[in-house]
Amino acid sequence: MSIAAGTDLGRALCIITGASRGFGQAAARHLSQRVSPGSAFVLAARSGNDLRSVRTELQQEDAGLLVECVEADLAHAEAQARVIAAAKRCFSADMDHVILVNNAASLGDVSRYTRDFTNMAEVDSYLSLNVSSCLCLTASTLEAFPQRPGLRRTVVNVSSLCALQPFPSWVLYCTGKAARDMMFRVLAEEEPDVRVLNYSPGPMDTDIYVSAKSRTADPNVRRSFTAMWDQGQVLTCDESCTKLMKLLLDDSYVSGAHVDVYDV
Amino acid sequence: MLTLGRGFCIITGASKGFGRSLAHEVSHLLEPGSVLLLVARSGSLLEELKEEIYSFTDKQQLAVHCVTADLSTREGVTETVRLAKQEAVNELDHVLLINNAGSLGNISSFGSFTDIEKVNSYLTFNVSSALALTAGLLQVFPCRADLRWSVVNISSIFALKALPSWVLYCTAKAARMMMFSVLAEEEPNIKVLSYSPGPMDTEMQEDIQRQSGIAYSLFPCHVSAAKLMKLILDNDFPSGKHLDFFEV
Repeated sequence: MSIAAGTDLGRALCIITGASRGFGQAAARHLSQRVSPGSAFVLAARSGNDLRSVRTELQQEDAGLLVECVEADLAHAEAQARVIAAAKRCFSADMDHVILVNNAASLGDVSRYTRDFTNMAEVDSYLSLNVSSCLCLTASTLEAFPQRPGLRRTVVNVSSLCALQPFPSWVLYCTGKAARDMMFRVLAEEEPDVRVLNYSPGPMDTDIYVSAKSRTADPNVRRSFTAMWDQGQVLTCDESCTKLMKLLLDDSYVSGAHVDVYDV
Repeated sequence: MLTLGRGFCIITGASKGFGRSLAHEVSHLLEPGSVLLLVARSGSLLEELKEEIYSFTDKQQLAVHCVTADLSTREGVTETVRLAKQEAVNELDHVLLINNAGSLGNISSFGSFTDIEKVNSYLTFNVSSALALTAGLLQVFPCRADLRWSVVNISSIFALKALPSWVLYCTAKAARMMMFSVLAEEEPNIKVLSYSPGPMDTEMQEDIQRQSGIAYSLFPCHVSAAKLMKLILDNDFPSGKHLDFFEV
């Protein structure tokens, strides 16, 4: 735990995947408001244009903030290398915190059931983005910024209730989220000096939610998503990020724990 | 129940270790007219296994087919599904799929896993393959009220418990446990079991010892295989459950 726990996140290098919209964009904004001067952001996503808009947004609040945009499909090795290269460029020796937010994700085809996933290439592609790329980027980040006195390292996995609970017609998403939670639990066991948080952000008004609501095959799951929406139970990304910031600032979560927005 | 009925049974990773024991156990429990499909990469080991089974069982009673297939490839999976369709017989009571094929992966520090192709390759064999094969076979033998369908996922305590340096294995086992839980939620006519077989005298355990230096106290495969068969015969668990050798 850092001396500054509770007040700010320090002079930080923040790496955020899927930073172009939704929760990733909100996380970039919230983190930028809680880091000290001299911090830097590496924003990765497939849409370079959207990333540059996020950079503009961040720099409107803090003109001196160093922000690098990396247009990347993280399922590719060369894209991973570019994110790490950007991170190394942005890092300075007087930084005291590296924060990696593994947010990039896809829903997968929720219009079909487990019995319909006969196409191995489709499953491979899904796992490559949602599981492999997350493992490799985290491993590369920890290797690029190894443990040293005075440097905190925090890894956030944007998780889901689906990591814990099976949802009919959501086999890819549930499988990927369960895999990720375990992956980060192993990291927490192996590296006690790395702060590892499996954060479940709750239902939020994102593109993933809209797809879920309109495409889910299972009638009960689809109904519950529609009901939450209609009854105003869906959070804004800002509301969920506020809770995530509190968790990061308090820094008292058990490393590797699955923490839900409604637990905070 | 005392037998598996007139069944169509598919066992992956059947050439060695636990899969091989399962093939023997299952062959004693299938009624006349049943079919046993044994899948592995080693055709010669499978043929030996088939001969062993026929030394106990009448060929008229049980048709044993060896499928030499690399289940880490799409071709291996589709070939297995094709052969299942080809060898399917009428009047089956029961389809039993045992997803046993799996690998340990490197036991190595988290930070060492920077090569996405290697991680993809591991997940293809240990996760994607089991999903695509299960789905393919469900298309060959669609669920009907008068057909019992059992799907077994050979799991591990490490689907539940995180172990340092075992990120690949833990991640894949956790993924599979969830994957088969979703299947159980979706399909009321399929009985799904995730079975953690305990530490057995297999080549995988030799590999564990070589890589990690840890030697567990091991059980013979047939002891765990017999327990799994009893669970399937008794059929007394809720679909989607994760059961451990030491619990039952």
